[in-house]
Amino acid sequence: MAGKDTPETGESGGLRLDHLGQEVTVPRGSRIVSQGETPEFFYVVQSGKVRVFRETQDGIRTELTELGSGSYFGEVALVTGQPRTASVEAVEESTLIKVSKEEFDRLLNQNPQLSRHIIQQLAAWLVAGDRRLETETVHQVKLRQISWFDYALIISLSIVFAVVFNIYNDNQIPLIQGWGVKSEVPQISLDQALDYYHQKSAVFVDARKNNFFEQRHIKEAISLPVVFFDLQYPMFQFMLTQMGASKEKPLIVYGGNSSRRFDVDLARLLMEKGHDKVLVLGGNYQGWERAYPVEEKKGKAPGTMPLGLAGLIEWLPVGIFLLLLIPPVRRSPYLSVACRLLLGVIFIEFALSKIMRPAVFALNVVDYNLTPAWGVNLWSLALPWAELLGGLFLVLGIRTRAAATIIGGMNIIFIIGLVNAIFLGLPINCGCVGEVGEPVNWWKVLKNTGMLFMAIQIFFYDRLFVLDRGGFIWRARSI
Amino acid sequence: MRQSASKPLVVLGLVIGCLAIWGCGEPRAPFAGNYRSETPFADKGHIELNLKENGEATWKLEKEMRELKFKWKVEGDHLFLYTREGAVMVATPTEGGKKLTVDMSGNWHPSCPVNQCLIFNKVSGGG
Repeated sequence: MAGKDTPETGESGGLRLDHLGQEVTVPRGSRIVSQGETPEFFYVVQSGKVRVFRETQDGIRTELTELGSGSYFGEVALVTGQPRTASVEAVEESTLIKVSKEEFDRLLNQNPQLSRHIIQQLAAWLVAGDRRLETETVHQVKLRQISWFDYALIISLSIVFAVVFNIYNDNQIPLIQGWGVKSEVPQISLDQALDYYHQKSAVFVDARKNNFFEQRHIKEAISLPVVFFDLQYPMFQFMLTQMGASKEKPLIVYGGNSSRRFDVDLARLLMEKGHDKVLVLGGNYQGWERAYPVEEKKGKAPGTMPLGLAGLIEWLPVGIFLLLLIPPVRRSPYLSVACRLLLGVIFIEFALSKIMRPAVFALNVVDYNLTPAWGVNLWSLALPWAELLGGLFLVLGIRTRAAATIIGGMNIIFIIGLVNAIFLGLPINCGCVGEVGEPVNWWKVLKNTGMLFMAIQIFFYDRLFVLDRGGFIWRARSI
Repeated sequence: MRQSASKPLVVLGLVIGCLAIWGCGEPRAPFAGNYRSETPFADKGHIELNLKENGEATWKLEKEMRELKFKWKVEGDHLFLYTREGAVMVATPTEGGKKLTVDMSGNWHPSCPVNQCLIFNKVSGGG
């Protein structure tokens, strides 16, 4: 390939080299130069097409350009003497002229026209690069911006949807349980009731759900869960008859907690049925446990009902959690997209299992005994909608940082509730995705922890495929 | 800004609509019909349970005039009966839907607890 060493720029501005360098053919997909390596050659594309790109240590690939016939590459590193600033691979089988560094230097020395051309090209890139950098910075700043409006949007939409849906829902619940209902049920102190107990002159009635009664109750008390009142009242009457207790015999009801006054509700229902003397056990909700002889069994968790696909999907955050332990993967925006989709689908699934029947979910919330009575129904109505909207926002890429924060916040609340229930040995249903048959255990805590870490990952690293301010931003960049 | 904010909301509305349709549940027809408890309940006669295809259900004791209303749905191998207060009873159809085992505890147990279990026989209706 010896001969004329005079380069010329073609009509299209492309570069032609005659009798210089060495012609090489590269197959499709092969890497021609690699970012970071020491430069040795300058290349001119004779035919075919190559792609120039940069890749970060995290694996984020930025495609810079594609070059066709007459284009050249590799000159930047040769001019600056620095390692390669980008990688180049063949998009299709290509023929290149490979010029050594010595030949390239000689070429520049002997051809001011080519030198000027390269300088102009580099200067143009520099200016274009600055502009792109500015656009990118503005965009990144907008993406990272997180305003109170985003949170207000999700929370207010959740509340509005929850309230409107509740109005038209067949399974409607009051916004505040017992609001406006006057408590006309007389109370009796623990000490006074103890006298009745020892004299066997009253019947003690436990208003809580069956699983709580089975775990621990006042010895010889009768269970009449207020939530099954209509169904089980006939059996209750039957039992009173068997015991020889008349309607005039005092009924002392207990079993409220700070989230729901089951005892007061049951007492009121019994009075409506014509029981003359119904009293609610006063004092601390759990006071009877210390003041009375109790019958107890070790807390038995509800059986596990297979949850199908929802149950399997719930395990994926644990896998993602393991992925997050790998530093380069942890920061990947592609992982953010995967986290968004997965977390979004899980939370949509969570929401759909609760939205239609808020009363069922409200009872699950009451079981945890962490929410004040006035807030139980509001929480039970709004939470599933916040889950649904948060999930949808993540899947669609709308306000993802705010959605991730709200979902992460919910995960923290769930974890606190679960850990508290485990330590107290509450025999309750999780209420996470299934209405029954979903025991509270450490696996649930682990799954929620996985989801929390996913939300954190999204908060810090999500920037791809987002439908955000100014429309959909397809972030597979071409610079 | 207002225009760009409205587009995601429209998308959101459409997606919620699709989810609402998706969340309608499994067909109830095979299990709809009249059931009668195998044994009398609380000395008030047998229980007559009527599961309607529209998701409503009634529960009546032979010797009582009052009829209790429920909602019900089918999910997997089980029927879920919902009381007005939000309690759930899991019913498991057996013998091809001729029998219904109802767990009255309000929890799920792989085998229905003896003292909380009611067995119903199908009298008419359904598939």
